[in-house]
Formats: sequence, structure tokens, C-alpha cells
Amino acid sequence: MRSMIRRYAFRSIWLLLSFPLFFTGCNVEHPFIKKAAFKDSLSISIEFAGEPDTDWATNPGNYNVYEKRDPDVLLSISEVILSPDKRTVIIKFDGEINQTELHVVALTPIRSQGKDLGAALLNVKRLYIGELFAILIGAMLINNYVFTKYLGLCVFFGTSKKRDTAVGMGITFTIVIVASAMMSWFLYQFVLKPFELDFLQVVVFIGMVSLSVQAVDTVLRKVNPALFKAFGVYLVLVIANCIILAVPLTLADNEYSAMESLMLALGAGTGFLLALFLMSSVRERLELADIPPTYRGLPIAFVTAGLFALAFMGFSGLAIF
Amino acid sequence: MAATKKTNKELVINGILLENPIFRLALSMCPAVGLTTSIKNGLLLGSAVLFVQICSSCTIAAIKNIIHPRIRIPTYTLTIATWVTVIDLVLAAYVPVAYKEMGIFVKLIVAFAIITMRLETFACKNTVSASFWDGLGMGIGFMFGMVSIGFVRELLGAGTILGYDALGFKPLLFFVLPAAGFFCVGIMMALFNYIEAVYNRLKERRQ
Amino acid sequence: MKEIIRITLGLTLSCFFAAMIMGAAFVITDRSKKQNEYNNTQATMLGLLGYGKENPAPEELRLYPVYRYIVEEDGETYLGYMVPVRASNHEAYEFLMLDLQGRLVRSFPLDISLKRAIEDSERQKILKETIKTETAFAYQDQTVIACLRDKRVAYLLPGEFTGFKTFIEVMLALDPQFNIIGLEIVEHEEDPGLGAEIEQDYFKNQFRDKSFDRLKNLAVIKEPLPDDYRRYLEDPDTLSAEELEKIRNQYLDKDIHALTGATISSRAVTNGTKNLVKRFAYRIKILDEVIAGHQIPAVI
Repeated sequence: MRSMIRRYAFRSIWLLLSFPLFFTGCNVEHPFIKKAAFKDSLSISIEFAGEPDTDWATNPGNYNVYEKRDPDVLLSISEVILSPDKRTVIIKFDGEINQTELHVVALTPIRSQGKDLGAALLNVKRLYIGELFAILIGAMLINNYVFTKYLGLCVFFGTSKKRDTAVGMGITFTIVIVASAMMSWFLYQFVLKPFELDFLQVVVFIGMVSLSVQAVDTVLRKVNPALFKAFGVYLVLVIANCIILAVPLTLADNEYSAMESLMLALGAGTGFLLALFLMSSVRERLELADIPPTYRGLPIAFVTAGLFALAFMGFSGLAIF
Repeated sequence: MAATKKTNKELVINGILLENPIFRLALSMCPAVGLTTSIKNGLLLGSAVLFVQICSSCTIAAIKNIIHPRIRIPTYTLTIATWVTVIDLVLAAYVPVAYKEMGIFVKLIVAFAIITMRLETFACKNTVSASFWDGLGMGIGFMFGMVSIGFVRELLGAGTILGYDALGFKPLLFFVLPAAGFFCVGIMMALFNYIEAVYNRLKERRQ
Repeated sequence: MKEIIRITLGLTLSCFFAAMIMGAAFVITDRSKKQNEYNNTQATMLGLLGYGKENPAPEELRLYPVYRYIVEEDGETYLGYMVPVRASNHEAYEFLMLDLQGRLVRSFPLDISLKRAIEDSERQKILKETIKTETAFAYQDQTVIACLRDKRVAYLLPGEFTGFKTFIEVMLALDPQFNIIGLEIVEHEEDPGLGAEIEQDYFKNQFRDKSFDRLKNLAVIKEPLPDDYRRYLEDPDTLSAEELEKIRNQYLDKDIHALTGATISSRAVTNGTKNLVKRFAYRIKILDEVIAGHQIPAVI
């Protein structure tokens, strides 16, 4: 049964992750330009489909670069280098460029082999999939909802006594949170925001949570009774979990898009699963240890969680993408 | 459980000591760990929870006869969510600086198990006035728990009490970190266990 | 069947009541919330300029907000500024549309008072009403220009940039030559004890009196704060006037001392402030040229 869960989990995760591969970050609309991307913190590289004229390509005056949100402030270019194969130019700037912002490169009419190929407007930004992964890793490790944001503790301490219980709770929780986060996103974007009903956030989101729990309950009962027997009892506990409400509130606050909300929910769910797994492994061993009577049970579990929280603090500031 | 026969004073004491939400019932521990970096935050959230608890208890006790048994839980959730929204709007309007420090914890009161549990076990079987005193006890118990942890963490971590410098030497940064929240709650729970053990031993010795 | 109808009816009624209560609470508290926000911002701005309870601002001090927009019309991008002007004995706004090279393209008057223009929704409404075409106005930011008896005394820049954790919101006060008068941290989500120390006097007061030229290449050095500098930043009342002058001149051209254990937050604030001031100085110069060149009756 565990291998079945694993198969389902892997298949669905692969499906979800392959979607954003269609959202690459470099948008080029000129036939002569193949790619434009950030090269490092000081330069942008542009790859041409053919060979532009050397004197045109190395003239900084032919390139106007600005951040999309500040179109009137042109970034100052220190020099433009043409690569040995004459197909790539590297634009070097005087100061560091902010790679998190969308940049626009406006090229004056490109000259290649004496012919005028027209002007071009290029959008340069980091890969979208990188941003999505950053949110996923953020919710899972850097801002782990249990150890860094201390939410969902009641359920956490209640179900982390045995490893099987913990893993079951974690998986159920991940499914419910993804479902409820997506539904909450829909409602927020299409009902709450347009009608300026922001103050109804709490009621609507908790309603969505109850609905998701009910939906997952019914679906699981019909589709896979065996699975339901194993995990059904945890569904009720999901509602009492603070995280299940914190995720929709966060995605409403930060105005995430659909993909980003999905990543946040996935990250929160898997982070919770990870925390539960770690905690249950330790607590199973604690049962056999010699602990003073006043500390037995919850107090020592809290101290353990504190140690985990200290360890997770090490992830603070992690920025791979 | 039949309607309680305790007096109002006993209900309040029950909420603070015997059935303290944080230390004895081990419910609603998220803010105990997260928001106890200063006493002020503890007081503010404690009063918010007190407000929601009393209002929800009284509302449910008042309409307990008209609620259809099958939609009990959604009704409780709706009541709590309504009162949480109200206190959230009020706090955001009148104490914006402190409200920002509390972040989303005010909105998360709706997910606290303690309030739903109190409604389920007490308010739907008792009168409005009894529910009021029980809610008061629970709320004060919660506030007491938050303030006691906050007192330790603020004194040792920031060197101040309610903003006034109280420590002579440089404070220990560790106590302001979230990890210390876990440690402090765990140690205080152990302390309450110890007090209870001693109390029971004394009671036995007296008999 | 009757059961389900009863249940549904009961739920709908309770939802309706709940919505009524919440709606009432929202309406009552919304106005106070906006009023409190406005008061807090005003207090921060006056505090930066040196006024407070003991030193109230003079009657003739006026704070004029200038709102910046990005305008999209027929596929072209323009800059838009809402500038307060004098219009036949009362104050109103004029919207100036500039192209990206800084030349005035169009200007039209907006019949909106200074008080109403504080609300973003009101500004959008008046813009849509005055320009009936398919133009898109995207609000960017605002600058508050402090004028004393018709002369500019300070620029107040509210700004937001990325910090170590999420974002840091600041309020910057500049004198008419773009030297920093003061820096105030309005909102942030940094770690307590580490990044949150940016709101302490011994960090943010280091930015005071830094000149515009010095700011352009201001860096962050990872050295501990000298004791006399710390006393100057935190408790200036304990030093004599000549000691204050001496310490001030000694550290005037030095870089910013980073916070212990929060280098990234310190760098974020320094670079964010640098960017804010550089961009503002560039834009206000262009705006002033347009106002002077086209004789716009601006009150700033």
C-alpha cells in the first residue's frame, strides 16, 4: 500500500512540475535574436541567429536597457563585448543589476552584412520555473511552517508519536491543503478581490477548508476504501490545523498567481510531512529513553522541537534561484 | 455531559489552573510559541482570544436550541469566524502597529482547537451566563499562559518588561528566537506537571 | 427531504446574519483605520523633519504629495505626474504626461482636492473620468514635498525595497540639495535581534547628514561601531555641542557600519536608499524643467 501511495505521489508531482517548463523566462520576438538572458550580476548576454556587423554590435549607444517598472531610467552600460564566434554580445553595466526585476533591452535597427533588420524589444528575466522552485523550497525548508513559523503545533504534537501515524497525517494534509489552496485562490481572485470583500477572507477560506475536507472524504470513500480506512481518521484533524488557514491567507496577502499558489501549498504540505517524519522518528526513540517523570510526554517533545527549530534556522537566507 | 453545577467563580478558576488551555489541555500552542517574544503581544492576543471565546460561547449558548444537530460544526465554525473577523477589523483599525507585529495570528484564532472544543463540550449544554463565566476563565487562562511565557522570554531575551529596561546586563538573544519558544513552553509544561504532582502528594498525605 | 431544506435554510440564514455583523464592523472600523494610517504617516514625516510634541510644526509648513504614474496609451509608454497647482484661489491637481525622454506631451487639470487625492481609488476615478479614452494609469509611488512659505525645505520619500527576508518599507527625508536629513524604517519582516535592529537609532541615524555625492558610492563596512560614534547616534544629549560637532565631522564621509550578524539587511537598506535617492533626483530634475519650461502654476 505504501508503494501505491509512492507511485501516485511521484506521478502527480511529475505532471505538476512539467507544466511550468513551458514558461521560460526569455521572451524574444525578433527573428534575428535567439536568446537574451542574465549572464551574471553585472551583464546580460544576447545570442543572435546570424552575425551582426561588428561596429554596430560593439557600440553601446545601440542598446537601451531599463527595468520594466522604471522605463525612464536607463542603466548605464560600461562596454559591449562581441564573442569570438561573432554571434553573442555581452553587455556589461557600471553597477550591479537587480536580477529579480524584469529588464527590457531596446535595440536600434540591427545591421548585419549591410542589411537593416529592424529594431527589437527584448524582455529579460529569470526563469519562471526558478521562481516557482524558490517558492517551493521556501515553504518547505526556509520558512518551514512548523519549525520556523510555529503553526499547526497541536496536530503536530498529537500525531507525531508513531512514524506511520505521522506519515499518514502528512500525506493527507498535503492533499487537502493543495485542494483547498487552489479553491481559495479561485474564490479570492474572482469573487473577493473584484467586489472588495477582503474582510470576508477568514470566513470564506475556512469554508473552503471544510469543503475540501468533505470532498476528499467523499472521494476517498468511493474511490479507494482501503486508503480511506488508513487515512480517513486524520481528515477531521486537518481542520484544527493552523497551517491550513495560513496558506490561503498568505497567498491572498502576496497576490500569488495560480502556479505560485500551487507551489506554496505543495511546499507547505511537504514541509509539514518532513517535520512530522523527523519528529516521529525522534519520539519513537524517546519512548525508550530514561526521561524524568515531569518531562515525560509533551514537555520533552517541545524541547526536541526547539532543537529542530534551531537546526532549521540554518536554512535562513538560502537562495539558490 | 450534563449541565454543570459549578459556581461562576469555580468555572473561572477551572479555566486558569485545572484546565489551562496551554499547559494542561495542550491546545492552541501555536501563539504560545510564536507570539510570546514580548508581554504586550501576549496581552493583546490574549484579549482577542478572550473576546472571541466569550462572544462565541454566549452566541452558541443563546441559539443552542435552534441549531440542527447535523450542522453543529459548521455553525460553530461560522460563529467563531464571524467574531474573529470583527476583532480583526477592530484591532487593525485602532492599534495598527501592534496588529502588524501579530501578523496573521489574529486571523488564525478561528483555527484554534480550544474555542471549538469549549463550544462543543460546554456552551451547547449550558446557559448563557454559565458559558460567559467559562469563556472568561478559558480566556484568562490562555492570557495567563501567554503572559507567563512572554515574561520569561522578554526579560531574558530583550532585557525589558513591557518596554521598560529591567535587566542589568546584556540580554540573551537566544530567547527571542522561535526555538526558545519551544523550549520555554516545554519547560513550563514540565513545571505545571511538577506542581500538580506535588499538590497531589500533599493531598494524599493530608488524607 | 424536509430535513435538508431546513438545514439549508438554517445555514443560509446564519450566513446572512454573520455577513451583516461583519459588514457593519467593517464599515465602522474602515474609516478609523484610514484616519489612523494617515495620522501615523504624518507623524513619521514631521518627526523626520525634526518636529514633534515639544517642537510643533509651524503653521505655514505645507506637505504636498506628488503622485507618479506610468501611462500606457496606444501602445506607447509615458510618465505621468499629478502635481498640486494653484487654480483660481484654491488648490487642485494638474496631470503632466511626459515621454520617456522628459518632454511634456500633454497636460490636463484634475478637479480633485488634496484631501481626496490621498485615496488611490479616488485618484483612479478622477483620471478615468477626465480621460475618457482607453488609457491605462498605473500608480507607481509618491513624493511629499515640504514647503515653508512657498519655498521647498525638504523632500519626503516613502519607499519599499527587498530586504533579507521579504521587504523593508522606509521613509526618507532629503533637503533641497538631496542630502539626507533622516531615515525612518516604517515596516519590515526581518529577524528580531538581528535584521530587526535596522530600526534602532545606532543604525538608521548613520544615514543622517550624508551628502548626495557621498551617497552615490556609499558602501557597508563590517567593522564594529566605535563607542563615541555610538553615543553620538543614540544619546546625543549626553555630549556637549563641540563634542557633537567633532564626532559629526569625523564620521561624515565614512561608510555605514553594518549590524552584527545582519550584513545583508544592512546592505539592503543602504543600496535601497541609494537607489531611491538616485532615481528621485533624476526624476525631480526633469519634472522641475518641465514645470519651469511650460510655466505650470505649481505650488511646489
